[in-house]
Amino acid sequence: MFSEYAALIVLLPVIAFVLTLFLGKKLYSGGALLPIAAIAGSFITSVGVFLEIYPDGMVQQSLPWFAGMNVGILIDPLAVVMLMMVTFVSLLIHIYAVGYMAHDPARPRYFAETSLFTAAMLSVILSDNILQFFISWELVGLCSFLLIGFWYHKPSAAAAAKKAFLVTRVGDVLFLAGIVLLYVNMKSLVDSRALVLEPQSFILQFKTMFEAISLIDGTQLTYITLLFFGGAVGKSGQFPLHGWLPDAMEGPTTVSALIHAATMVTAGVYLVARTFPMFVATPSTISAGVPDSLLIVTYVGGFTAIFAATMGLVMNDIKRVLAYSTVSQLGYMMLALGTAGTVLGAKAVGISMFHLISHAFFKALLFLCAGSVIHAVGTNDIREMGGLFSKMKITGTTMFIAALALAGIGFPFAGLGLPIMNIGTAGFFSKDAIIEGAFEYGENMHDLIPYGFAVIAALLTSIYIFRLWFMAFTGKPRSERHPHESPGVMTRPLMILAVFALLFGFSQAGFYGYVEKNFELMDVNIAVHEGEALHPSAIITLLPVIVGVLGLLISYAIYHKRLIDMSKIVSSGNLLYKLLLNRYYEPKLSADIIGVKLTHDVVARSGEFIDRQIIDKLIIDNIISNTLLKLGGIVRKLQTGVVQNYASITILGVALLLVLLRLKSGGT
Amino acid sequence: MSLYSYLLISIIIFTIGVYGIITQRSGIKILMCIELLLNSANLNLVAFSSYNGNATGQVFAIFSIAIAAAEAAIGFAILVALFRLKDTINLDNINILRW
Repeated sequence: MFSEYAALIVLLPVIAFVLTLFLGKKLYSGGALLPIAAIAGSFITSVGVFLEIYPDGMVQQSLPWFAGMNVGILIDPLAVVMLMMVTFVSLLIHIYAVGYMAHDPARPRYFAETSLFTAAMLSVILSDNILQFFISWELVGLCSFLLIGFWYHKPSAAAAAKKAFLVTRVGDVLFLAGIVLLYVNMKSLVDSRALVLEPQSFILQFKTMFEAISLIDGTQLTYITLLFFGGAVGKSGQFPLHGWLPDAMEGPTTVSALIHAATMVTAGVYLVARTFPMFVATPSTISAGVPDSLLIVTYVGGFTAIFAATMGLVMNDIKRVLAYSTVSQLGYMMLALGTAGTVLGAKAVGISMFHLISHAFFKALLFLCAGSVIHAVGTNDIREMGGLFSKMKITGTTMFIAALALAGIGFPFAGLGLPIMNIGTAGFFSKDAIIEGAFEYGENMHDLIPYGFAVIAALLTSIYIFRLWFMAFTGKPRSERHPHESPGVMTRPLMILAVFALLFGFSQAGFYGYVEKNFELMDVNIAVHEGEALHPSAIITLLPVIVGVLGLLISYAIYHKRLIDMSKIVSSGNLLYKLLLNRYYEPKLSADIIGVKLTHDVVARSGEFIDRQIIDKLIIDNIISNTLLKLGGIVRKLQTGVVQNYASITILGVALLLVLLRLKSGGT
Repeated sequence: MSLYSYLLISIIIFTIGVYGIITQRSGIKILMCIELLLNSANLNLVAFSSYNGNATGQVFAIFSIAIAAAEAAIGFAILVALFRLKDTINLDNINILRW
């Protein structure tokens, strides 16, 4: 019953967007109730669809559109778990925003835009073809731009919005190029009858794409998947297109939680997971046994995980720390797809998606807690906070839970062979699986570098997140402010998310089992370079938890007990610190070198030269414009202003006409 | 008199009118020439009407005369206003609407 109305999942927020935009001013709290009701409807529909299709059903609906394309809905296990997560997190964040945005006069615009964003994001998830996916993908990019620049009167917010738009555009162009290349290949297959389209199946549908995998030339497939991955790199803030995501924190915190932590930035991971069979099928030319595209996914993801974590260590803006953490965790998800994809095949999608969803819970929670703190103290700078725990118990506790989840704290009893189940936070279950997958990859492919990335990044993660918590919530207040706990409309979503951050991990086995079947349901076989099953030693199983706890202890010692005086290390004289604080000079590089030197000085200036000096001056001024001016100078003299001249010419004309008429009719 | 004599007179009057409009500089003279044009047309109407034994043309001529009166009134009003503004009704001096 729900499955037939699956389109409502997208349409309800769209309706809410239109209504809120036009009527929001007149409604309670800037029309917040409309998106909340609509997204609640989407959430209920998603859960209903899930209950109907579980354990091995799918929803497929499609309508022809143009030139062999279609619009359609595909709800498979992959999509349905994302749907439930996005609608649920979006619902909680919208409720929270009623409190957080209470004093903002532009609330109708805020709620309209987040509602549109939710609709677009759901459309990304539901798409059954890559073209519709791309269109929705662009739409979420647009909403991200609008919401980062929500306070557009602030120059930094306007600049951040522009940066986000331009940087993700690089990825989007690559993605579009990948779609074009895919289309060219598919079209030639269809034209040569190598691929026969069944009725009701369309050329860019995912299922058609998967059917064609074995028919497409391997090199072409590598290019296509790498171009897709380029889009994912832009959207998910992977190295080297990561710079926009920390800057995107200029938007309202709820926007950061919704778009730049839980949903939109994971669209890149979702894209790779969606087209995963294509990535697995790429030939392995660089490293034996590892598909080329997966190798690149692995290294980009792994490097991003550790690279972003190092910057998270030194940021003083509470939201920036979380932003780098998001970039780093997205790197983990990519790493999981790459490493586990090589050795475990379709299981990788389960592992990566599980981390994606548990990350969505605890990272949204972290951002909302940060929002609650910012709401209370009125600053983003953790150096000015301190001692907040006594004032904000709920926020402090839920944020600590989220930090535990991010650091992956838990007890791997079963992993050590003890007859007790593993107990831990959501991040413990999801991140350990990724690190173990990386280890398995390392053992089988004799390449332990990704594993090293993952473990070191886990240590850094734990250090920066507890540094944040201890600096904000313990110690003495470092500024004259009077913080207060946030209202119930804000704290209750925190508590709900905290429950998920704590308990979601226990669904691990069921989740894997369900999502892994995704491609089997679509009749796609994923060839796996199956290595021998490993029984990792106790140290390997324990290592992620050990580094997590170690990070906690290090931060406790430094930032709570103050055993080490950081002021000596944290100084402008320390080159490493300077490098990190300046974010590896990436903003400088992208703004000064790429932006000013390359784009402005070279491209724009030469364009200006060609336009002004050659086209305007030489061609237009000298040739076209001058001729026209001269001709005009002659002809305009006809307009004498003397009435008799006009009358004479009129009469002459009429007389001529009469003569012509006479001649034409043959003269009688 | 045959129809042709009427038409001949009409053509002569019309030509005088056109000649006047082209050559004359005084606004009043031009207005008078326009009246000549109109009346040559009226003469045609009446002539054809009489020739065909149909009264429609004559009725039409009466309408035309009435409208010509109104037109003349407006024309003179414009000339009066122009005279107040420029102290002349010589159209050679009124040529600001040009290149």
